[in-house]
Amino acid sequence: MVLCHNVRHWELREVCRRQMEESLFMGSMQRAVRAGLIFLFLVCVAIAAIAETKKEYRFTVGPKASISVLNQYGPVTAKPSAGNQVVVTAILRSDKVEVDHDQSGNRIGIKSHLLAGANAENGRVDYEVLIPADASITMHSLTGPLRAEKLGGDVTLEGAGALVDVREISNAHVHVKTMNGPVKLTNIQQGHVEISSVSGDVTLSSVSGPLVQVSSTSGKIHYDGDFGSGGEYSLISHTGDIDATIPTDASVDVTARSVRGQVENDFPFQPKKHTTFPVVAGSSFAGTIGKAASSVVLRTFSGKIRLKKR
Amino acid sequence: MTCAEFQQELPDVLEGVSSAEVEAHLSSCSLCSELVSDLKAISEQASELRASEEPDPRVWQNIEAVLRQEGLIRGPQSERLFLVTPSRRRWGPASWLVPAAAAILVGLVVFLNRPVFNPAAQKSTQPTRVAVSTPPKAAGAADSEDDQQVLSEVEKRAPLMKSVYEDDLKNVNSYIRDAQNSVDQNPDDGEARQYLLEAYEQKAMLYEMALDGSLP
Repeated sequence: MVLCHNVRHWELREVCRRQMEESLFMGSMQRAVRAGLIFLFLVCVAIAAIAETKKEYRFTVGPKASISVLNQYGPVTAKPSAGNQVVVTAILRSDKVEVDHDQSGNRIGIKSHLLAGANAENGRVDYEVLIPADASITMHSLTGPLRAEKLGGDVTLEGAGALVDVREISNAHVHVKTMNGPVKLTNIQQGHVEISSVSGDVTLSSVSGPLVQVSSTSGKIHYDGDFGSGGEYSLISHTGDIDATIPTDASVDVTARSVRGQVENDFPFQPKKHTTFPVVAGSSFAGTIGKAASSVVLRTFSGKIRLKKR
Repeated sequence: MTCAEFQQELPDVLEGVSSAEVEAHLSSCSLCSELVSDLKAISEQASELRASEEPDPRVWQNIEAVLRQEGLIRGPQSERLFLVTPSRRRWGPASWLVPAAAAILVGLVVFLNRPVFNPAAQKSTQPTRVAVSTPPKAAGAADSEDDQQVLSEVEKRAPLMKSVYEDDLKNVNSYIRDAQNSVDQNPDDGEARQYLLEAYEQKAMLYEMALDGSLP
């Protein structure tokens, strides 16, 4: 019995010892793997840091300069500069992409030039462009985002999937084209605004001017503002909903029509006597609110239109 | 005869047909006389320009055929749709639709026939001729072929974007179909025609974005 007990005890001890050894081995393996991964990550970061290059270009321009930035992959941000300087800061992700630049008088062109083997990751360039307040700028990027703020000149932004964000622009034209990239405009005063997006949602906050046009195929359109005091506003989508939120003292001549969808209106209005289409309760309305200073057209094919009080 | 009455007769005067009363007014009124002389000068200049710059008549015929097919114009077949004389006013306030629609359609045709799909053709210095002289294809088939060409170009240049383009093209084609049906059902509905133009503009933009320099 004692022998048997001793044998069992020995076996038990042996099993425990093996398990402890395995556990220790596994633990050390895990530590080794973890350390290896950290080392690999640090190497990658170091390589990326070495490969990433920051470049700066400066141009002196006269009044009403024109700047164009074409970037296949990566963001472009435009802000106002002091004086008559255009300052372009470009962060290149690798040596698979170069920055081409040229100046012809008052016209400046900046372009990312992809080299063989470039892709969305290593071909990316991050641009920040400082331009004089009266300069106009055209920005293209496939992926974006595209941002412009506090500028006084015309702004044109085009990006297939790029998010577009434009803020605080006065007395200028703002033209935006995207495919599925969402578009956001905030505080655009006295602007000539034209937005066309196939499937990106469009959000306008405090946007007013003599002409504001939004056209979309399947994107939703949100307008939050007062429709100014004497402009032409046209918000059109094929299948997207259109929401307009305006104050109770807004002054508009509004026509809303959804061919297959519904319309909702929070405002009492004076119905129009003549319209270019038959007015059908629930799917269209046409009338004036206040002194009808601005003309507003809201049209969708199968989306829903809501004119709401703020 | 008053000046207003004279102006009613202007189309005939410009075509060389005039009565004694018209002639009498013309000789006594310097304003109307100058107007006629200016209009004749413009007409002569225009006819010279027409002779030197006018494209093949088949171009106009094809554009007219497409516009008729889309329901954007109706009425009797005209010999020359775009040579609008002052007496040709059946379009009324919608007359601007014609050049606008033509511009979009011509723009689309130009894009579709640009030699971007053929690298050899890009290197060629020979002027390219817009191939609109062939009879217009059935709209659905043409859409499908053109869309496939655009998608294959996108796939080559930005493969990750292909599915987005595919979805957007489907949506835009659906937009065009809905708008077209609307025009067919309500030919006098100005809003419906506007929908159709908007739909084509969206498609034109999609093609432009697929083929211009913003893709790698």
